[in-house]
Amino acid sequence: MKNIYKPDPMEVLEVRRQTPDVKSVKIRFREKEKNQNFSFRVGQFGCFSAFGYGESTFNICSSSNWKDHLEFCFRKTGKVTEALWRIEEGDTVGFRGPYGNSYPVEQWEGRNLIFVGGGIAMPPIRCAIWYVLENRARYGDISVVYGARTVADLAFADELEQWARYDRVRVVRCVDPGGETSDWKGEVGFVPAVLERSQISAGNSIALVIGPPIMIKYTLPVLDKMGLAPNDIYTSLENRMKCGLGKCGRCNVGPAYVCKEGPVFTMEQIRHLPADF
Amino acid sequence: MSEVISASALRELMRDWLRQGKQVFGPRQVKPGLVLYTRLTDPEQLLVSGFIHPSNSPKEFVFPRHEVIYSYRFEGKDLQLLDAPDSFPEQIVLAVRPCDAAALPILDKLFNWDFQDEFYNRRRQATTVVTLACLSHDDSCFCTSVGLGPADPRGSDAMLLPAQDDEFEVRPFTEKGEASFSGVTRTSSKQAGTPSGPAKKFDAGQVRTYLSENFEGPIWHDETLHCLGCGACAYTCPTCHCFDIVDEGNAAGGIRAKNWDSCQFPIFSLHASGHNPRSTQPQRQRQRLTHKFQIYPEKFGDILCTGCGNCTRNCPVNLGVLNVLEAMKNGQPL
Repeated sequence: MKNIYKPDPMEVLEVRRQTPDVKSVKIRFREKEKNQNFSFRVGQFGCFSAFGYGESTFNICSSSNWKDHLEFCFRKTGKVTEALWRIEEGDTVGFRGPYGNSYPVEQWEGRNLIFVGGGIAMPPIRCAIWYVLENRARYGDISVVYGARTVADLAFADELEQWARYDRVRVVRCVDPGGETSDWKGEVGFVPAVLERSQISAGNSIALVIGPPIMIKYTLPVLDKMGLAPNDIYTSLENRMKCGLGKCGRCNVGPAYVCKEGPVFTMEQIRHLPADF
Repeated sequence: MSEVISASALRELMRDWLRQGKQVFGPRQVKPGLVLYTRLTDPEQLLVSGFIHPSNSPKEFVFPRHEVIYSYRFEGKDLQLLDAPDSFPEQIVLAVRPCDAAALPILDKLFNWDFQDEFYNRRRQATTVVTLACLSHDDSCFCTSVGLGPADPRGSDAMLLPAQDDEFEVRPFTEKGEASFSGVTRTSSKQAGTPSGPAKKFDAGQVRTYLSENFEGPIWHDETLHCLGCGACAYTCPTCHCFDIVDEGNAAGGIRAKNWDSCQFPIFSLHASGHNPRSTQPQRQRQRLTHKFQIYPEKFGDILCTGCGNCTRNCPVNLGVLNVLEAMKNGQPL
């Protein structure tokens, strides 16, 4: 019997501690053939299990071009993530997915891309950044504005430096006031303000904005001032989910099920949804 | 002309089913003042009159409140995932109220759009639903307001309509229903009357319009504030289907289960960050009403409510769909 709730056992290949409370994990299917057959699109998510503790929903934060493994990233914050925090290389976790819609990366071809993220929102941006860097010729200028509370809270800090070395890529890193260290060379300030003073030229641009609701709220007027239309601004909603399959009934924003119609929405779409998030 | 069965022949038929190893469920007086749909092991336990609506719904026979979806076992670092039972015994749910039966085809859509929940589907295939038409109703009943009625055939494999002389007219609607009663009815010249049902209490189309236009409004601040968030409405509702997925066990072994859940609980939509999109009880009431009268009809074409009235009957603070809609009507003409 096909059991839509049963995850695949995944071998943990690598665990990286990104910040004091964030880890990223590289996994692959225990069943070898599945590694070849599995495919997903950047922006999709999965349900990840720590057996005995439960399941949590995370974005698949690796690029869809990487065929031999996938990655997820989480902040230690509850029962499941406390258990995932303890896993080591060689352990087994569960995965089911991919679920949901994805970033329309084909539609973005020929456009300049502005990625704006805050804190734990880096993973769902990171998969898109690697994807476009691996298809560099198809995209215009790339700007990344990423902020966290403190220097230690910047996830994928090493990759931020790698990205900055690519042609026509600008990476602006920032930390909240007070979160800087004495040798900090990035910006100090909140993401929306830093985005504004970075003077990114916004012509022919697409923006992907992911972060806490408060960051998104103050970032939107900045993007508006820069001249981006609501149709060109994307985000990924992260409502609590259990099934990921459009059945368990909790992730909806008004009539939109985030697990099915989302998680990726344009600001134009969100404008037509009730303020249920 | 009609096919009829006497109450005593019905009990004899039920005894045969039990002898054949079929599981039988139906309304039973479990204690004074409380009628529940339960598993029946003796035909004498079956209640076919003297009650309006059991305090629960028969959804639990196809969508159990706790269902193991697989078990897991660790031997050192080696993980084994073991399938949960996936074949289910033939079962007959007897004397189901038409509102409860009508909930099943509505739920079929949810459990089968895009992804198919085979646990639900297999239980559903193994189930025969025999409804009992309603001769009476109480103040909480409102099936006629959601397009149903006291003898509506939706979701029924066969229907029993109370007739004179302790007899029931038998109306089969499906092959399963035909098979269940083949050879046990007799032809009668009489026909059971058509019960009338409760007067229409609201217009579901207007409710939908109101909900889509009044996401904010006093009803979502004041009238629903006294909801206790107990979830009784959802647990006794034939159409509420929200569920949780949890692990029960430890690092050596255990199960993963699908458990009933309710949008009335604060943790239902709580984010890991601490943010909750529905942080107040009225917001959670709004979610329940909107899901039933706007979201589900938009997505699946059916109202997610069959007018059984259980949410009102079982509410400790006199809310439930009917009273919330009543409050809506007072706040704004419906």
